Amino acid sequence: MSHSTINVRCFRYDPQIDKEPRFQDYAVPLRDGEMSVLNCLDHIRENLDPGLAYFMNCRLGFCQRCSLRVNGKVVMACETRAEGDLILEPVNSEEVIRDLWCDST
Amino acid sequence: MPEELYDRAMTCDVLVVGSEGAGGPTAINAARAGLDVLIASKGRMSRCGASQMAGADFNLDGKSAIELGLPGDDRDSPRRFFEDLVREGFYLGNQRMIEAYVDYAAKSTADLLEWGMPVYRFEQVHAEEMARGIITSGVRWVRVLRRKVQEMGIPVLEDTMVVDLLTREGRVIGAVALDLKTGEVVLVKAKAVVLCTGGWQQAYHFNSAAADLSGDGQAMAFRAGAEMIGMEMVQYIPGTMLWPPIARKSILPYIMMETEAGPLIQLLNSEGERFMERYDPSTLEQSTKEIVAIAGELEVEEGRGSPHGGVYFALKHLTPQGVDFVWGKFAEFLDENNDKRSEFRKLLPQLLEKAKTEDLEVGNAVHFMVGGIKVNERTETGVPGLYAAGECSGGLWGSVRVASATTQVGAQGRIAGEVCPAYVKSVEHAEPEKAQLEAIIERVMSPLQRNEGVAPGELLKRMHGVSEEYLRVIRDGEGLESAYDELSWMRREEAHRLYVSASKARRLNYEWELCLELDNMLLCLEMSALASLRREESRGGFYRRDFPYTDNDRWCVNTVISNRDGEPALRLEDPVVTRMQPPTGKMTFEEAVASGTASLKRGEAAI
Repeated sequence: MSHSTINVRCFRYDPQIDKEPRFQDYAVPLRDGEMSVLNCLDHIRENLDPGLAYFMNCRLGFCQRCSLRVNGKVVMACETRAEGDLILEPVNSEEVIRDLWCDST
Repeated sequence: MPEELYDRAMTCDVLVVGSEGAGGPTAINAARAGLDVLIASKGRMSRCGASQMAGADFNLDGKSAIELGLPGDDRDSPRRFFEDLVREGFYLGNQRMIEAYVDYAAKSTADLLEWGMPVYRFEQVHAEEMARGIITSGVRWVRVLRRKVQEMGIPVLEDTMVVDLLTREGRVIGAVALDLKTGEVVLVKAKAVVLCTGGWQQAYHFNSAAADLSGDGQAMAFRAGAEMIGMEMVQYIPGTMLWPPIARKSILPYIMMETEAGPLIQLLNSEGERFMERYDPSTLEQSTKEIVAIAGELEVEEGRGSPHGGVYFALKHLTPQGVDFVWGKFAEFLDENNDKRSEFRKLLPQLLEKAKTEDLEVGNAVHFMVGGIKVNERTETGVPGLYAAGECSGGLWGSVRVASATTQVGAQGRIAGEVCPAYVKSVEHAEPEKAQLEAIIERVMSPLQRNEGVAPGELLKRMHGVSEEYLRVIRDGEGLESAYDELSWMRREEAHRLYVSASKARRLNYEWELCLELDNMLLCLEMSALASLRREESRGGFYRRDFPYTDNDRWCVNTVISNRDGEPALRLEDPVVTRMQPPTGKMTFEEAVASGTASLKRGEAAI
């Protein structure tokens, strides 16, 4: 099993404070065993930056509230495998509430 | 009332906290009775809470099923269903509540069918000898409720966490909520509040529940003066995915063990031994959930667990064709149930492919909270104006949940919606007391204002350390005392020093929400430790290593916790009996479990 570390580039934007969006990079170790994009976000929240805003609820594909743009494609973070470097953006960057959470999710 | 204390104010007849299996029917029935209803949901309707993730199977007796036009079974009767529930809950259940469950199981099911909930099958669940189960989909169920709520024009505050209840002269007069999307504090004036907030599974690191279940309803009810019952009774589900992380907390392996292919599946320890041969040689992995859970925990304790603290779910002894056969059986099962969940359609094939060459790690996840806010058969708490329905309430099941929770939430939701209008019509709105409102808002805002103290992520880790170490499947006096002391310390000495350490943003601030949830989870765990310590026996889903007997002479009683000057105080109370007298005598836990009937056996228990 590989213990590689990937770069997770996250869209950051608080419309109440920030003039414009920016990206922030986080180094996330892919522990042995398969990790989802949501597992990577949890790793960031638990170990690197509890201030990153993203939404999740059921973690198993029911609620669909963890929908994100992963490397440009809209998917559910919980059921998408993290296999290499990631660029994470909100589904619709025009209606961001904060960071990766936008109104439609 | 000075308006600067809060950002928005709303007024309604009844505030329903929670929007899903229990909250939906509560709101619909209260609105039908002419009340001005407001729903506050921690998430989005049909996309939050426990209900969306249900299988889902609903139970009702076979005779009532026939009356609803379902296949049913005319040998069955409401009386027989009642008797099974009392006996299988080991006689701790409130028999008046069980009567209401059986009665309203049929009524609330009729509502769901009328509102368009599809039925895929009617089958043999719950009772071994007769069919009592309607099989549908959790996602379809909650969408039916959402559509009905929308049709009736009932307003819903989504992504809104209710943080505390407002009381005046001993009755509930409203609540304070936090709009998670905007960070605004909302004051809701209501003549009555119905809590439909679900369990407190998030107090455990390894659970099978949605993220919003953090005991908010139980804790705010306690703070408002309501009592709790059976807080020591926690249901685990063996065979929950522990590893790999992408599949963690999925109960798919457990469901697979319930299908026709179940007997082909083996549970192994780290030495490759099929350990159930030692614990229950006759039924092996098909033994009861409780016995399988305990056996797995003992293997882990003795150093024969998997790397992440579970046991192995093995198919490797089968050929790849054998695994494909298992998948085929499961695919048939999914087609019969018209189940399109991505968990089944995407995750499961991946896991089965993996299982051809390696074993999967599974463990016992916290699945359902059997106890909760003490209510009567009318969903009334002891506090005027406060009701509780569904998983957040307690008293129905006794020591183990043996039938469907989906039925419970709908039945109690309808009861709450029918019962509260008479009360609402008898009272007037009251102005909140300034001191109380200020104290609540101070509790909400202070973690955001504090710049140092206890970081919520750090306290969460320590809390999970305690619950996973001492408050799981196998309990004992020494561990429970440690748990009680540590949790009580965290709640009294640390929770009020929590601070938001990273972003001070008010919108969707995870740390801020976690600070509020920690107050609630710590309180629920502490009450559970207190009740577990007091119960010196083993019963149903509750197991104490130092008291491995089911002792009907001393312990056929419920633990009840009340609020004494803000602190939990425990007393014992006899169960409410209408028709079935509890038995006497003492037997070993294994004998007691074996004497429980059909629904405690693997394959029939509702999931």
